[in-house]
Amino acid sequence: MDATLHTPPWTCPFCALLCDRFGVAQAETLTPAGTRCPRAARALAQFGAEPSPARPAVDGQPVDAQTALDTAAQWLARARQPLFGGMATDVAGARALYRVANACGAIFDHAHGRALMHGLTAMQDRGAFTTTLAEIRNRADLIVCIGASPSARYPEFFARCAVGNEPDEVGPAQRTVVPAQRTVVFLGCDADADTDRALAEQPGVETLAIPLQGDLYDTVATLNALLAGKSLRTGVDPALAALVERMLAANYTAIVWIPADLPGAHATLLVEGFDRLLKALNRTQRAGGLALGGDDGGASVNQTLTWLSGLPLRTGVHRSGLEHAPQRYDTARLLADHGVDALLWVSSFGADLPPPHTTLPTIVLGHPGLAATCADREGPTVFVPVSTPGIGSPGHLFRADGGVVLPLTPVYEDTLPTVAAFAAQLGAKLASHKENAA
Amino acid sequence: MSTFRLRGGRVFDPASRIDGTIADIGVRDGRIVELGPEESVDREYDVTGMTVMAGGIDMHSHIGGGKVNLARMLMPEDHRIRMQREEAENALELASCGVCTPGTLATGYRYAEMGYTAAFEPAMIASNARHTHLEMGDTPIIDHGAYVMLGNDELFLSMLAKGEDFERLRDYVGWSINATKALGVKVVNPGGISAFKFNQRNLNVDETHAHYAITPRQVLHTLARALTELKVPHPLHIHASNLGVPGNVDSTLATIDALEGLPGHLTHIQFHSYGTEGPRKFSSAAERIAEAVNAHPNISIDVGQIMFGQTVTASGDIMKQVKQAEFASPRKWIAGDIECDAGCGVVPFRYREQSYVNALQWTIGLELFLRVKNPWQITLTTDHPNGGPFTSYPHLIRLLMDKSFRDEQLAKLHPEVAQQSALASMTRELSFEEIAILTRAAPARLLGLRDRGRLSAGAAADIAVYRDDPNREAMFSTPEYVFKDGELVARRGRIVATPVGGTHFVEPEFDRSIERTLDEYGERHLAYNFRHAAIGRDELCSCCNGGRLLPAACSVHGNNTGEQSS
Repeated sequence: MDATLHTPPWTCPFCALLCDRFGVAQAETLTPAGTRCPRAARALAQFGAEPSPARPAVDGQPVDAQTALDTAAQWLARARQPLFGGMATDVAGARALYRVANACGAIFDHAHGRALMHGLTAMQDRGAFTTTLAEIRNRADLIVCIGASPSARYPEFFARCAVGNEPDEVGPAQRTVVPAQRTVVFLGCDADADTDRALAEQPGVETLAIPLQGDLYDTVATLNALLAGKSLRTGVDPALAALVERMLAANYTAIVWIPADLPGAHATLLVEGFDRLLKALNRTQRAGGLALGGDDGGASVNQTLTWLSGLPLRTGVHRSGLEHAPQRYDTARLLADHGVDALLWVSSFGADLPPPHTTLPTIVLGHPGLAATCADREGPTVFVPVSTPGIGSPGHLFRADGGVVLPLTPVYEDTLPTVAAFAAQLGAKLASHKENAA
Repeated sequence: MSTFRLRGGRVFDPASRIDGTIADIGVRDGRIVELGPEESVDREYDVTGMTVMAGGIDMHSHIGGGKVNLARMLMPEDHRIRMQREEAENALELASCGVCTPGTLATGYRYAEMGYTAAFEPAMIASNARHTHLEMGDTPIIDHGAYVMLGNDELFLSMLAKGEDFERLRDYVGWSINATKALGVKVVNPGGISAFKFNQRNLNVDETHAHYAITPRQVLHTLARALTELKVPHPLHIHASNLGVPGNVDSTLATIDALEGLPGHLTHIQFHSYGTEGPRKFSSAAERIAEAVNAHPNISIDVGQIMFGQTVTASGDIMKQVKQAEFASPRKWIAGDIECDAGCGVVPFRYREQSYVNALQWTIGLELFLRVKNPWQITLTTDHPNGGPFTSYPHLIRLLMDKSFRDEQLAKLHPEVAQQSALASMTRELSFEEIAILTRAAPARLLGLRDRGRLSAGAAADIAVYRDDPNREAMFSTPEYVFKDGELVARRGRIVATPVGGTHFVEPEFDRSIERTLDEYGERHLAYNFRHAAIGRDELCSCCNGGRLLPAACSVHGNNTGEQSS
């Protein structure tokens, strides 16, 4: 039997690189066909070869879909300040949940809200100088990875940027340039990962590990000072001075970081430091920055909420108007401070984003694998298993670098509702609650 | 079947040569129809004494896509301004805020309540097309469409540099329009966005790109010729070289020259009409530009008027935006290189009356409006949000219709500008007919929208009805009635219905063998599967929230939809 369920172009929804040059095969679970990406393999293994027969539950007891919907609507209607957290969904899910938030006055955060806010607040304060995967692929002769190697979370990153491809693979057929020789610098990274070691053996690739001077904050400050030509009181690591020289000599420098791996509570300052570095470089040279993040729909939900409301994640849709509070509207903080009294948790891509511990009434729109967790919680819990975009239903996701949106093609037709479909019903139910109350 | 009549209004429908005639307008099922005076209708609106026009059409307004959303993210302070809209507590409106770059929901509401029924995103990057359509689909009530950016994408430049057959380039243009579901093609700083990626900081019309052996003149001519041969109604939409640079009048005139008589639309031309005269080496070249427009019937323009106050500029022209970034206010800005395809620059600005440069920019825009003789060659824009938000259109209309009001505003400006500007001696006041041309009839004609921007039988019933007020700003801010496809959507500045808008696009024919070249190129150079490049009709529909698909017919440029009598 031909076990390939989906040949390319299937779009992998399980990290924000959105690879679309491999397919999906069927074994006991789904498996990737045509890639060795461990992340895709792990994520696909959470899905059986057939659609899940999972059913909704209230406090662990199976209920029909209508009961789950009614209960969820009641809880939201009763809540004075609900929080929509997790938000691991696609564009359609975010669109539909925005209507629900308007009906019940909810605050939005994302499971990766903290990491997303590093970049967002730095952008709100200083701006950004960005680049994209294809720009790196075609132009970057110097790639500086800061803080963590991209390969750990994004195994396909270097392949997507064609780093180490044979020159004729990206060759001169169209007379477009692809750097014949690239240098990949791992600054303050644990560069022992297998893929990175393999990278050094690729033709035309030179890798270079540079340790931190002090901590990452100190190191970035030093790079900025060197680039600005400032004299430093302490001695400068010659490796950092050489790196600045390399950046000034490169045709195009790409600076790559992973927001989720930036250390410290004030990682926004690091992103601001990267911005300063990039803008200084661009006075005379060419360079661009790439933050690799926005997984589990983070980038997509942030974009969608921004265009709908005018404000990004960590915004509340209140009766008095919209309020954006990047520090205050943090899920953990809101729960700890009793700032909210109900939680809608969305985790449609997998079972590895369970709802946080809380005694509040919690509605979980989640991967079927979350059923057990949701049956065993302190507070009242409605669990609605939902379809995963790209597995059981179509959808759209944003890639990590911002502008590229790719369509998701399902592997099979699901029996479970999409987040958007359930949210639409929820919104209608809440509207009728309102009318009854009026 | 629903029928209604607007009775007794003063109708301005320049496309049908109706100039202020008192007439009834009949509507049946969303279309304008001839109704006999005795024919019964479901509803009659007494609009005696009111002004009736087709719904407004904004052919150049940055309403959706990557850089607009970046502008929103950059400027949360713009969105924290609570507009004084207590009376607008309206359960039909979902929460959406912002002044210079409002959320898409607010964008739809504000356009509709101002009497506009369509707006077009002029700078859709091909790799960002889905995002653009998703945003436009979430812009309620109004119809929308977009022009795809070409002429900085590396495939086009490399094909041009290699001297490939024109037909191949033309097919590529045709493919791009189809794949991105665009209504037209825009070129931004021809070749310059790409050149910046190779660290070239300037690119004049006859200068050679640092890497590809091409000049902007070649890019312009090739694209304009391709669109003519593909029979795309909208002429090449051109953001010329040297945006905002003193002395750029020369490159703007060279751009017109490069077209060699082919149709072209020069957008936000105010930003491209600068001389270098005077002690500050910055002067108005509006007269020279207007003369050129008057002498070239193949050219149309929109103005890109600046308005005083805070805004944020969002442009594909990264080369020039990076240069302008030192004037950012507040001091923050975004630039990006995008997918071997394009770029973007987002820079906030505060235009100040007491700034010599800003005051002069303001007068240059108005001079252009008043100096161009044929109103069918010019449309009203602020290049939203770059010159100012679209919500300032009623103010701009008053400036154009009311000489004494204009003089009052001029007197508030930087004294050197107020004293020396040619504007002071210009007595022209635009008529209602001319406003109707600049804001509906001409945009519809330039875009090839045959059943929009007009009120003749068969046209879509997109209608705005204004209560007369000598203060034209007040008059055009809150029309009495606004109908979208025959549905009452706004009443005295209040939204009363929120239908989903439709998408305008064109589907020119081309030779599909070009896809092999694209596939090969994509495999080597792009970071996604070429088979994901094209947006099908079904996908467009889901991006746009199920709004109607409105394919425009391909025919020759400047088809004569505008001037036939009904």
